[in-house]
Amino acid sequence: MMKTRREFHKLAAATAAALAAPAFVGSKVFAQDKPIRVGASVSLTGPLASTKNGLIGYELWRDDVNAAGGLLGRKVELVTYDDQSSAANVPAIYSKLVDVDACDVLFSPYGANLSAPVMPFIKQRDLFMIGMFGLAGNDVAKHDKFFHSGPWGPNSGRDWARGFFDLAKGQGVKKIAIINADLEFSKNAAKGGAEVAKEYGMEIVFNQSYPPNTTDFSSMIRNINAGDPEAIFIASYPADSTAIIRGVKEIGISDKVKIFGGAMVGPQYGALLSSLGPELNGLVNSHTFVPEPTMQTPAIKGFFDRYTPIAVKQGVDPLGYYIPPFYYVAGQLAAAAITGSKSVDPAKMAAFLHANSVDTIAGKIAFNEIGDWKERRVLMVQLRGIKGNDLEQFRNPGHQVILDPPSLKTGDLAGPYNKARAS
Amino acid sequence: MRKTSILFIAGIVIVLALGFLLPWTVRNPFYFFVGYVVLQYVTIATGWNILGGYAGYINFGAAGFFGAGVYLSAFLFTTFGLPLPLCILAAAVFGAVLGLLMGYLTLRIQGVYFAIATLGLVVVLETIVHNISALGGASGMAVYGPRPPAWSPGPSQYNFTIMLVIAVAAVSLARFVEISWIGRGLRAVRASEDAAECSGVPTLRLKLLACALSGAVLAMAGAPYPFYTSFVEPVTAFSLIIGLNAIAMPLIGGTKSWAGPVLGALLLASVQQIATVTISSELNILFVGLVLIAFVAFAPGGLSDLFGRRQGRAKS
Repeated sequence: MMKTRREFHKLAAATAAALAAPAFVGSKVFAQDKPIRVGASVSLTGPLASTKNGLIGYELWRDDVNAAGGLLGRKVELVTYDDQSSAANVPAIYSKLVDVDACDVLFSPYGANLSAPVMPFIKQRDLFMIGMFGLAGNDVAKHDKFFHSGPWGPNSGRDWARGFFDLAKGQGVKKIAIINADLEFSKNAAKGGAEVAKEYGMEIVFNQSYPPNTTDFSSMIRNINAGDPEAIFIASYPADSTAIIRGVKEIGISDKVKIFGGAMVGPQYGALLSSLGPELNGLVNSHTFVPEPTMQTPAIKGFFDRYTPIAVKQGVDPLGYYIPPFYYVAGQLAAAAITGSKSVDPAKMAAFLHANSVDTIAGKIAFNEIGDWKERRVLMVQLRGIKGNDLEQFRNPGHQVILDPPSLKTGDLAGPYNKARAS
Repeated sequence: MRKTSILFIAGIVIVLALGFLLPWTVRNPFYFFVGYVVLQYVTIATGWNILGGYAGYINFGAAGFFGAGVYLSAFLFTTFGLPLPLCILAAAVFGAVLGLLMGYLTLRIQGVYFAIATLGLVVVLETIVHNISALGGASGMAVYGPRPPAWSPGPSQYNFTIMLVIAVAAVSLARFVEISWIGRGLRAVRASEDAAECSGVPTLRLKLLACALSGAVLAMAGAPYPFYTSFVEPVTAFSLIIGLNAIAMPLIGGTKSWAGPVLGALLLASVQQIATVTISSELNILFVGLVLIAFVAFAPGGLSDLFGRRQGRAKS
């Protein structure tokens, strides 16, 4: 059959359109299937590598969300890089996450010092970010699309350890001693603590910082005893926390001391709980989660049931009470913002979180205008009844009794410290 | 003017022209963040090589000078609102004075003793910063830099261009030192200090000059850092990784000429940056160690020496 030139052109155009159609249709479907990318920098190496178990929290959240069909019908993809615990690496990593990997949601690095470099960046670019444990992380930038996953509460630079001073005030403490490591977190804690102590009319009889890597606290403990305080607030890091506890055991402390501890980093982690064991009895210290009846819910229990075998396999903290649940919470906050606003637009997501409270495995969270939790929920727990060095005992209630906040309280302060220590 | 000098100046003009044009042609800011770090290490390696390479005095205190530049610049900007070029200039002067002081105190000792003394400088400076509340102490200091000027499209591109200018200035200075009487004197010191002294070379004065110049360049490398990270804290500013890279890069590239540290820094810093976002940072550190061992064992003269020998063989 002969074809005219016009018919041939029509046929060619129709064939071309038919061949091209799947490509057009296909690309549309592909765009809808494009995953939602969540970017984060994690300290897998360097001095903050002990926080890397948080990554398990991120991964469990991603797996849960994807198992439930993703967000807005799209899968969730986690993009993470190791910042080597160095602030110098943070700007390039976040530029990579935003400009190359095209992440829709960002999680900050761990802590205030690593998060600080990224704050001007997200403010300039107007990006949405969930902050990870940075005390007062948004107090300078005041970015309206930044939200804390950690329970520090408002005015956290000063108030996060206020619970310790509330307890001291309740015991009628008039004289307090403060010591701190000369490092960012502990220095801020001691500074804020001194302000709160003054506000409560307490006399600070001893206030001293010590260089990082100090191992012998005997002279400092003797000087504290000479000041005759009724409370001792300590802001320390894991190695010095151990040295202080052991120093007190050797030298002894005044019987007048009613409450001891406050902001010691270390006794939240399995390694230190196990190595110090009964020496920790009587200590009152800050925490973010403990398995007490007022905090245990099926959701958080389910989280730890899955966290523990992975942590054991990876050789990280098998308890993981302090950090990992809040990394999961970060994911839940992002998920709530995306599904609530039906969008990955930073302004819409932020508006949703400002206007609504979110149910998470760590409880219901509502935010103020700079993304702090409206209510501080830092725990002050007292370690009690610890026998031997078996880590499993810390999974049971009664060994990390919540004294503050009152809404979660599971017991009263046992004191004075020497008596509680001996029990 | 010699042919090599004309070629060098032409190269610098091309590099600078590219540096000012690239921000307008390459749109993705990530490359400028990475480029900044690479250029920062080019400057650090070049600065270290003036004393460590030309004079043969191994300085472990590069991080001390770098950190001093970081903190002086951050302090001058946040307290007095000084513009960045003046902060850089002030950091260079401060670094030179610090270098002079360090040299005066430590140059009477040699070899490993000198290296240990310079390491002490980092610890001393870091401890001082930890205890000065005006510098933020251990909590660090937020530095919200100024808006970039109209000739630069954004803050990361501006920082990149500024760092490029500093790197070019540092390399030019290193080349000047190398080909002038200073370089000849320093090479004599490296070969045999006693023989140089006997031949009338003013060894102490030359070493002090090298310390001052090296300190100035290292501090200058740190001056824009607060604007790059928007935040400074002592642990990162005085990080020993900076000191390690400052030594590794010239050793890999070659310590005898200005091109060695540039080559070493371009190679090592680029690989480190790529490895951080592709493979893993643990492998990255392992890589630096392995490359360093390989060069010390098989090519102690570094890359530039390796190329030089090949060219020499090709000519003969």
